[in-house]
Amino acid sequence: MNTNQIFKLALTLVAVLAIHQVKSQKLVDRNGQVAFEASEALFEPVEAKNQSVTAVLDTQSNEIASLALIKGFRFPNSLMEEHFNENYIESETYPKATFKGQLMDFNIAEVTNEPQQVRVDGKLTLHGKEKVVDTYLTIGKTGDALIITGSFTVTPDDFDIAIPSIVKNKIAREVNVSLDFKMKAL
Amino acid sequence: MKKKLILALTGLLVGVTALGFVLNATFNPKHRVIANEEPAFFIPADELQYLFANDEQSAGKKYMDQVLKVSGKVTEVEGQSIVLDNRVLVNLLTDTGKGLLQGEELIIKGRCVGFDELLLQVKIDQAEIKLK
Repeated sequence: MNTNQIFKLALTLVAVLAIHQVKSQKLVDRNGQVAFEASEALFEPVEAKNQSVTAVLDTQSNEIASLALIKGFRFPNSLMEEHFNENYIESETYPKATFKGQLMDFNIAEVTNEPQQVRVDGKLTLHGKEKVVDTYLTIGKTGDALIITGSFTVTPDDFDIAIPSIVKNKIAREVNVSLDFKMKAL
Repeated sequence: MKKKLILALTGLLVGVTALGFVLNATFNPKHRVIANEEPAFFIPADELQYLFANDEQSAGKKYMDQVLKVSGKVTEVEGQSIVLDNRVLVNLLTDTGKGLLQGEELIIKGRCVGFDELLLQVKIDQAEIKLK
Protein backbone atom coordinates (compact mmCIF):
# COMPACT_ATOMS: atom_id res chain seq x y z
CA MET A 1 0.00 0.00 0.00
CA ASN A 2 1.51 3.29 -0.99
CA THR A 3 0.95 6.63 0.70
CA ASN A 4 -1.60 7.65 -1.84
CA GLN A 5 -3.76 4.62 -1.14
CA ILE A 6 -3.50 5.08 2.60
CA PHE A 7 -4.48 8.70 2.16
CA LYS A 8 -7.49 7.72 0.07
CA LEU A 9 -8.56 5.11 2.61
CA ALA A 10 -8.26 7.60 5.45
CA LEU A 11 -10.28 10.15 3.51
CA THR A 12 -13.04 7.62 2.81
CA LEU A 13 -13.08 6.66 6.47
CA VAL A 14 -13.40 10.28 7.55
CA ALA A 15 -16.16 10.86 5.01
CA VAL A 16 -18.12 7.82 6.17
CA LEU A 17 -17.72 8.84 9.81
CA ALA A 18 -18.73 12.41 9.00
CA ILE A 19 -21.87 11.28 7.19
CA HIS A 20 -22.73 9.03 10.09
CA GLN A 21 -22.18 11.88 12.52
CA VAL A 22 -24.37 14.27 10.57
CA LYS A 23 -27.11 11.70 10.34
CA SER A 24 -27.14 10.80 13.98
CA GLN A 25 -27.25 14.34 15.32
CA LYS A 26 -30.56 15.27 13.73
CA LEU A 27 -33.85 14.51 15.39
CA VAL A 28 -36.98 14.86 13.31
CA ASP A 29 -40.75 14.81 13.67
CA ARG A 30 -42.69 14.91 10.42
CA ASN A 31 -46.12 14.66 11.98
CA GLY A 32 -45.82 17.07 14.85
CA GLN A 33 -48.83 18.90 16.21
CA VAL A 34 -49.35 22.64 16.28
CA ALA A 35 -52.65 24.11 17.38
CA PHE A 36 -53.84 27.63 17.88
CA GLU A 37 -56.78 29.17 19.60
CA ALA A 38 -58.26 32.64 19.49
CA SER A 39 -61.66 32.05 21.03
CA GLU A 40 -63.81 34.64 22.73
CA ALA A 41 -66.26 33.58 25.41
CA LEU A 42 -69.87 33.26 24.22
CA PHE A 43 -68.81 32.91 20.58
CA GLU A 44 -68.02 29.88 18.46
CA PRO A 45 -64.53 28.56 19.31
CA VAL A 46 -61.84 29.79 16.92
CA GLU A 47 -59.32 26.99 16.86
CA ALA A 48 -57.36 24.90 14.43
CA LYS A 49 -54.94 22.02 14.52
CA ASN A 50 -52.20 20.87 12.17
CA GLN A 51 -51.09 17.30 12.71
CA SER A 52 -48.35 17.08 10.12
CA VAL A 53 -45.92 19.78 11.14
CA THR A 54 -42.23 19.13 10.55
CA ALA A 55 -39.66 19.83 13.23
CA VAL A 56 -35.92 19.26 13.00
CA LEU A 57 -33.48 19.58 15.90
CA ASP A 58 -29.74 19.55 15.43
CA THR A 59 -28.54 18.20 18.76
CA GLN A 60 -25.02 19.37 18.13
CA SER A 61 -25.69 23.03 17.42
CA ASN A 62 -29.08 23.04 19.24
CA GLU A 63 -30.68 24.74 16.27
CA ILE A 64 -34.33 23.96 15.89
CA ALA A 65 -36.45 24.49 12.80
CA SER A 66 -40.11 23.86 12.21
CA LEU A 67 -42.42 24.15 9.24
CA ALA A 68 -46.20 24.04 9.11
CA LEU A 69 -48.09 24.06 5.85
CA ILE A 70 -50.99 26.45 6.29
CA LYS A 71 -53.39 24.24 4.34
CA GLY A 72 -52.74 21.57 6.94
CA PHE A 73 -54.57 23.54 9.65
CA ARG A 74 -58.00 22.03 10.14
CA PHE A 75 -60.85 23.93 11.79
CA PRO A 76 -63.97 22.30 13.21
CA ASN A 77 -65.91 24.87 11.16
CA SER A 78 -65.16 24.58 7.43
CA LEU A 79 -66.24 28.15 6.69
CA MET A 80 -63.76 29.42 9.26
CA GLU A 81 -61.09 27.32 7.57
CA GLU A 82 -61.96 28.89 4.23
CA HIS A 83 -61.84 32.44 5.57
CA PHE A 84 -58.60 31.73 7.40
CA ASN A 85 -56.97 30.51 4.19
CA GLU A 86 -58.43 33.02 1.77
CA ASN A 87 -58.85 36.25 3.71
CA TYR A 88 -56.54 36.23 6.70
CA ILE A 89 -53.45 34.14 6.05
CA GLU A 90 -53.73 34.17 2.25
CA SER A 91 -52.29 30.69 2.04
CA GLU A 92 -52.01 30.68 -1.75
CA THR A 93 -49.43 33.45 -1.53
CA TYR A 94 -47.96 32.43 1.85
CA PRO A 95 -48.36 28.64 2.02
CA LYS A 96 -46.29 28.02 5.14
CA ALA A 97 -45.36 29.12 8.62
CA THR A 98 -41.77 28.54 9.68
CA PHE A 99 -39.83 28.83 12.88
CA LYS A 100 -36.06 28.93 13.14
CA GLY A 101 -34.45 29.17 16.53
CA GLN A 102 -31.86 28.16 19.02
CA LEU A 103 -32.23 26.16 22.22
CA MET A 104 -30.34 27.90 25.04
CA ASP A 105 -28.12 26.00 27.50
CA PHE A 106 -29.42 22.71 26.22
CA ASN A 107 -27.53 19.46 26.32
CA ILE A 108 -29.17 16.41 24.78
CA ALA A 109 -27.11 14.14 27.04
CA GLU A 110 -28.73 15.63 30.13
CA VAL A 111 -32.31 15.01 29.04
CA THR A 112 -34.17 12.52 31.21
CA ASN A 113 -37.73 11.25 31.59
CA GLU A 114 -38.23 14.20 33.91
CA PRO A 115 -39.18 17.07 31.55
CA GLN A 116 -37.14 20.25 31.88
CA GLN A 117 -37.74 23.84 30.84
CA VAL A 118 -35.53 25.02 28.00
CA ARG A 119 -35.43 28.54 26.63
CA VAL A 120 -35.78 28.92 22.88
CA ASP A 121 -35.05 32.07 20.98
CA GLY A 122 -36.00 32.35 17.35
CA LYS A 123 -38.07 33.83 14.59
CA LEU A 124 -41.54 32.88 13.49
CA THR A 125 -42.34 33.72 9.88
CA LEU A 126 -45.80 33.73 8.38
CA HIS A 127 -47.86 35.86 6.04
CA GLY A 128 -44.56 37.29 4.80
CA LYS A 129 -43.76 38.80 8.22
CA GLU A 130 -41.26 37.86 10.89
CA LYS A 131 -41.61 37.95 14.65
CA VAL A 132 -39.12 37.18 17.38
CA VAL A 133 -40.37 34.42 19.66
CA ASP A 134 -38.50 33.98 22.93
CA THR A 135 -40.20 31.41 25.12
CA TYR A 136 -39.75 28.26 27.16
CA LEU A 137 -40.26 24.75 25.90
CA THR A 138 -40.71 21.62 27.97
CA ILE A 139 -38.34 18.89 26.86
CA GLY A 140 -38.24 15.34 28.12
CA LYS A 141 -37.66 11.81 26.95
CA THR A 142 -40.07 8.93 26.41
CA GLY A 143 -38.53 5.76 25.09
CA ASP A 144 -36.47 6.67 22.04
CA ALA A 145 -38.33 9.93 21.40
CA LEU A 146 -37.51 13.43 22.57
CA ILE A 147 -40.79 15.09 23.53
CA ILE A 148 -40.97 18.84 23.02
CA THR A 149 -44.06 20.75 24.10
CA GLY A 150 -44.73 24.41 24.61
CA SER A 151 -46.99 27.35 23.99
CA PHE A 152 -46.68 31.03 23.27
CA THR A 153 -48.84 33.96 22.26
CA VAL A 154 -48.89 36.02 19.09
CA THR A 155 -51.28 38.61 17.72
CA PRO A 156 -52.67 39.00 14.19
CA ASP A 157 -51.04 42.47 14.15
CA ASP A 158 -47.61 40.84 14.52
CA PHE A 159 -48.04 39.45 11.03
CA ASP A 160 -50.04 42.26 9.43
CA ILE A 161 -53.18 40.19 9.40
CA ALA A 162 -56.23 42.41 9.34
CA ILE A 163 -59.35 41.14 11.05
CA PRO A 164 -62.48 42.81 9.60
CA SER A 165 -64.46 44.78 12.16
CA ILE A 166 -67.54 42.63 11.61
CA VAL A 167 -65.85 39.61 13.23
CA LYS A 168 -63.44 41.50 15.46
CA ASN A 169 -65.28 40.77 18.70
CA LYS A 170 -65.52 37.08 17.86
CA ILE A 171 -61.77 36.58 17.52
CA ALA A 172 -59.47 37.10 20.49
CA ARG A 173 -56.73 39.70 20.11
CA GLU A 174 -54.18 37.23 21.37
CA VAL A 175 -53.71 33.92 19.63
CA ASN A 176 -52.46 31.09 21.79
CA VAL A 177 -50.21 28.69 19.90
CA SER A 178 -49.32 25.29 21.32
CA LEU A 179 -46.98 22.64 19.97
CA ASP A 180 -46.25 18.98 20.58
CA PHE A 181 -43.34 17.27 18.84
CA LYS A 182 -42.04 13.73 19.17
CA MET A 183 -38.53 13.89 17.78
CA LYS A 184 -36.73 10.79 16.61
CA ALA A 185 -33.54 10.03 14.75
CA LEU A 186 -34.34 9.50 11.09
CA MET B 1 -110.92 30.30 14.20
CA LYS B 2 -109.01 27.73 16.25
CA LYS B 3 -108.21 25.81 13.09
CA LYS B 4 -106.74 28.91 11.50
CA LEU B 5 -104.58 29.59 14.53
CA ILE B 6 -103.21 26.04 14.53
CA LEU B 7 -102.58 26.29 10.82
CA ALA B 8 -100.77 29.61 11.25
CA LEU B 9 -98.66 28.26 14.11
CA THR B 10 -97.76 25.13 12.14
CA GLY B 11 -96.84 27.28 9.17
CA LEU B 12 -94.67 29.49 11.36
CA LEU B 13 -92.95 26.45 12.86
CA VAL B 14 -92.21 24.96 9.45
CA GLY B 15 -90.96 28.33 8.24
CA VAL B 16 -88.62 28.84 11.19
CA THR B 17 -87.28 25.30 10.90
CA ALA B 18 -86.66 25.74 7.18
CA LEU B 19 -84.92 29.07 7.84
CA GLY B 20 -82.80 27.33 10.48
CA PHE B 21 -81.72 24.69 7.97
CA VAL B 22 -80.88 27.28 5.34
CA LEU B 23 -78.86 29.39 7.79
CA ASN B 24 -77.08 26.34 9.10
CA ALA B 25 -76.20 25.21 5.59
CA THR B 26 -74.97 28.71 4.72
CA PHE B 27 -72.89 29.41 7.80
CA ASN B 28 -71.93 25.89 8.69
CA PRO B 29 -71.16 24.11 5.44
CA LYS B 30 -69.80 20.58 5.61
CA HIS B 31 -66.09 19.92 5.27
CA ARG B 32 -64.80 18.62 1.97
CA VAL B 33 -64.74 14.86 1.81
CA ILE B 34 -61.62 14.12 -0.21
CA ALA B 35 -62.58 10.46 -0.54
CA ASN B 36 -65.71 11.45 -2.46
CA GLU B 37 -63.93 13.80 -4.86
CA GLU B 38 -62.60 12.89 -8.26
CA PRO B 39 -58.83 13.38 -8.53
CA ALA B 40 -57.86 16.42 -10.61
CA PHE B 41 -54.43 14.99 -11.54
CA PHE B 42 -52.67 11.64 -11.72
CA ILE B 43 -48.94 12.04 -11.30
CA PRO B 44 -45.88 9.96 -10.27
CA ALA B 45 -44.44 10.89 -6.85
CA ASP B 46 -41.00 11.82 -8.16
CA GLU B 47 -42.44 14.11 -10.81
CA LEU B 48 -44.68 15.87 -8.30
CA GLN B 49 -41.76 16.49 -5.97
CA TYR B 50 -39.54 17.64 -8.83
CA LEU B 51 -42.11 20.23 -9.91
CA PHE B 52 -42.40 21.62 -6.38
CA ALA B 53 -38.66 21.60 -5.72
CA ASN B 54 -38.03 23.34 -9.02
CA ASP B 55 -40.70 26.02 -8.99
CA GLU B 56 -42.70 25.91 -5.81
CA GLN B 57 -44.97 28.78 -6.71
CA SER B 58 -46.26 27.52 -10.02
CA ALA B 59 -46.51 23.94 -8.77
CA GLY B 60 -48.38 25.26 -5.74
CA LYS B 61 -50.81 27.12 -7.93
CA LYS B 62 -51.55 24.01 -9.91
CA TYR B 63 -51.58 21.29 -7.26
CA MET B 64 -52.08 22.79 -3.80
CA ASP B 65 -55.38 21.88 -2.15
CA GLN B 66 -56.24 19.68 -5.15
CA VAL B 67 -57.16 16.04 -4.96
CA LEU B 68 -54.36 14.03 -6.54
CA LYS B 69 -53.72 10.44 -7.45
CA VAL B 70 -50.04 9.74 -6.88
CA SER B 71 -48.07 6.65 -7.80
CA GLY B 72 -44.76 5.51 -6.40
CA LYS B 73 -42.75 2.96 -4.54
CA VAL B 74 -43.12 2.71 -0.77
CA THR B 75 -39.84 3.72 0.87
CA GLU B 76 -41.07 4.11 4.43
CA VAL B 77 -44.05 3.21 6.60
CA GLU B 78 -44.61 4.78 10.01
CA GLY B 79 -47.97 4.66 11.70
CA GLN B 80 -50.49 6.23 9.33
CA SER B 81 -47.77 7.81 7.22
CA ILE B 82 -46.12 6.38 4.16
CA VAL B 83 -43.37 7.85 2.03
CA LEU B 84 -43.39 7.30 -1.73
CA ASP B 85 -40.06 7.31 -3.54
CA ASN B 86 -38.53 9.24 -0.58
CA ARG B 87 -40.24 12.30 -2.03
CA VAL B 88 -43.90 12.39 -1.09
CA LEU B 89 -45.14 12.06 2.48
CA VAL B 90 -48.64 10.64 2.55
CA ASN B 91 -50.83 10.77 5.64
CA LEU B 92 -53.55 8.18 5.39
CA LEU B 93 -57.03 8.63 6.87
CA THR B 94 -56.92 5.17 8.43
CA ASP B 95 -54.17 2.72 9.28
CA THR B 96 -54.51 0.85 5.99
CA GLY B 97 -50.77 1.29 5.50
CA LYS B 98 -49.96 -1.23 8.21
CA GLY B 99 -49.21 -4.27 6.09
CA LEU B 100 -47.31 -2.36 3.42
CA LEU B 101 -43.81 -3.41 2.55
CA GLN B 102 -40.93 -1.29 1.41
CA GLY B 103 -40.54 -1.39 -2.34
CA GLU B 104 -44.21 -2.03 -2.97
CA GLU B 105 -45.72 -0.08 -5.87
CA LEU B 106 -48.70 1.96 -4.81
CA ILE B 107 -51.30 4.45 -5.97
CA ILE B 108 -52.83 6.75 -3.38
CA LYS B 109 -55.47 9.43 -3.56
CA GLY B 110 -55.36 12.44 -1.28
CA ARG B 111 -55.17 16.20 -0.92
CA CYS B 112 -51.96 18.03 -1.74
CA VAL B 113 -51.06 20.23 1.26
CA GLY B 114 -47.86 21.73 -0.16
CA PHE B 115 -44.10 21.48 -0.21
CA ASP B 116 -42.05 20.96 2.94
CA GLU B 117 -38.62 22.44 2.31
CA LEU B 118 -37.17 21.03 5.55
CA LEU B 119 -37.82 17.49 4.37
CA LEU B 120 -37.81 18.34 0.65
CA GLN B 121 -41.01 16.37 0.44
CA VAL B 122 -44.50 17.10 -0.84
CA LYS B 123 -47.12 16.48 1.81
CA ILE B 124 -50.45 14.82 1.11
CA ASP B 125 -53.20 14.36 3.69
CA GLN B 126 -56.61 12.69 4.01
CA ALA B 127 -55.28 9.98 1.74
CA GLU B 128 -56.42 6.49 0.96
CA ILE B 129 -54.76 3.63 -0.85
CA LYS B 130 -56.34 3.15 -4.25
CA LEU B 131 -54.31 0.37 -5.76
CA LYS B 132 -51.55 -1.95 -4.70
